[in-house]
Amino acid sequence: MFLFTARFSLTASETETFSDGLSVERKRVKPILMASNSDMGSADFESLSSTSDVELLKRAWRNEKAAPEILPYEGDLVERAKGQIELVEGNIEDYVENGMDPLVVSLYQMDLDRTQFLLRSYLRVRLLKIEKFMFHTLKSEEAESRLSEQEKVFATKCVADLAKHFEESVLIKLRESYRSVLKQSLISEEDDMVPEPHLDTFVVSRSNSHVTLNLYEEGESHQIVEMYRGDVYFIRYKVAKGAIESGKVDLI
Amino acid sequence: MYGRKGYQLVKDFASGEKGQLKPFNSKLFDETIEECEQNHSLMQSLMIKMQQEGLDVSNNRNADYYGTLVHHLSLIRNKRCLMAYVHNRAEIVRDLAWTVGLLLPQLPPEIQEKLTTLEKDYFKNHSSALKSYMGKAGIDLNVDMVPPKDPYIKVRVVGDIEQGIMMGDKATNFARHSMHFLKRTDAEPYIARGQMEELTG
Repeated sequence: MFLFTARFSLTASETETFSDGLSVERKRVKPILMASNSDMGSADFESLSSTSDVELLKRAWRNEKAAPEILPYEGDLVERAKGQIELVEGNIEDYVENGMDPLVVSLYQMDLDRTQFLLRSYLRVRLLKIEKFMFHTLKSEEAESRLSEQEKVFATKCVADLAKHFEESVLIKLRESYRSVLKQSLISEEDDMVPEPHLDTFVVSRSNSHVTLNLYEEGESHQIVEMYRGDVYFIRYKVAKGAIESGKVDLI
Repeated sequence: MYGRKGYQLVKDFASGEKGQLKPFNSKLFDETIEECEQNHSLMQSLMIKMQQEGLDVSNNRNADYYGTLVHHLSLIRNKRCLMAYVHNRAEIVRDLAWTVGLLLPQLPPEIQEKLTTLEKDYFKNHSSALKSYMGKAGIDLNVDMVPPKDPYIKVRVVGDIEQGIMMGDKATNFARHSMHFLKRTDAEPYIARGQMEELTG
């Protein structure tokens, strides 16, 4: 993972650029720090290095890539990342004008490219998930509430386009009672033609703090797993879902 | 056997290479539709027969009832197959927008040949949805498809690229077989369209 870990802090000006996001994030992380009393020294360092927006974006991106369903949209983070990208772009232009060493400029440029890739890939992965489960995304309130405004507009248009495509190529040729996009026929009581994400799939996860998870759903047999900080588990997505959303567990 | 046509249609799709389109199998597709129509008319005639005999269609469990049921099940099975065929092709069409480009003329002719008119329309509609998202989000998502290792890459021109494209503030000359050292973001669209290839190692 060297690719995204390089963070060049060559001059003071860059630290300034990112200090804004940093100070916001420091506050957010504190409660977790207090909760895990042990080993304050190294935890402090780790939490500091893992609270820059780039790190947060990387985490959001990894979770989004590994999760089978769409996760809540990190709107604030995306906005901050966009702002910082613009700032760095401006800085780089200034460096070029001021005749800074081209090597140093290209290091900044590379760092910028990596951050931009993260941001683009994050948004792209989300759009691909929306495309894949578009009917489900708009049908389920939970999924819909996780989209940004623009993503909602996109999903609505997606559904309209694909439904139109289905109607024109298949459904128009069938009889009246078999023409629904979402139902097999008029007698189906539920929408039984909607592809949904498989929440039972397995994911690789690593915990950030001590978490207790029940491996089975209610009604099934009862078995509890305790994950300690740093433990890596191969686990059913459904089981870890809550912990992932609250940030206690990361997907890798 | 009822339902076999739909099955063959899905098999036809599945036998193709993953992520690649075959020409739309309109013969099999129409035959499947035709079978749906047959199922429907047979189903109707059985129901009419039951009504003429004074039987309640939904409560009677005689041979004719199960006859209609078989036709109904065959019909929805075929419908699912038809939809799955169109759906899976539509998925590939959407992927084209991501991997090749958002404009129909950008697609290589050998791909365009395999699309039906409706699929071309779908491609256009979907691309415009993507474009409006990117416009509103203020970010172009169609570049940077692979993690950048280096901001500059070496490329060789393998297709015909018109003269006089501006990159930065310089005019370029992308003659065929010439090699260039370009910004990754500048080169990516050409690579996606198969007009350039990246030189590695």
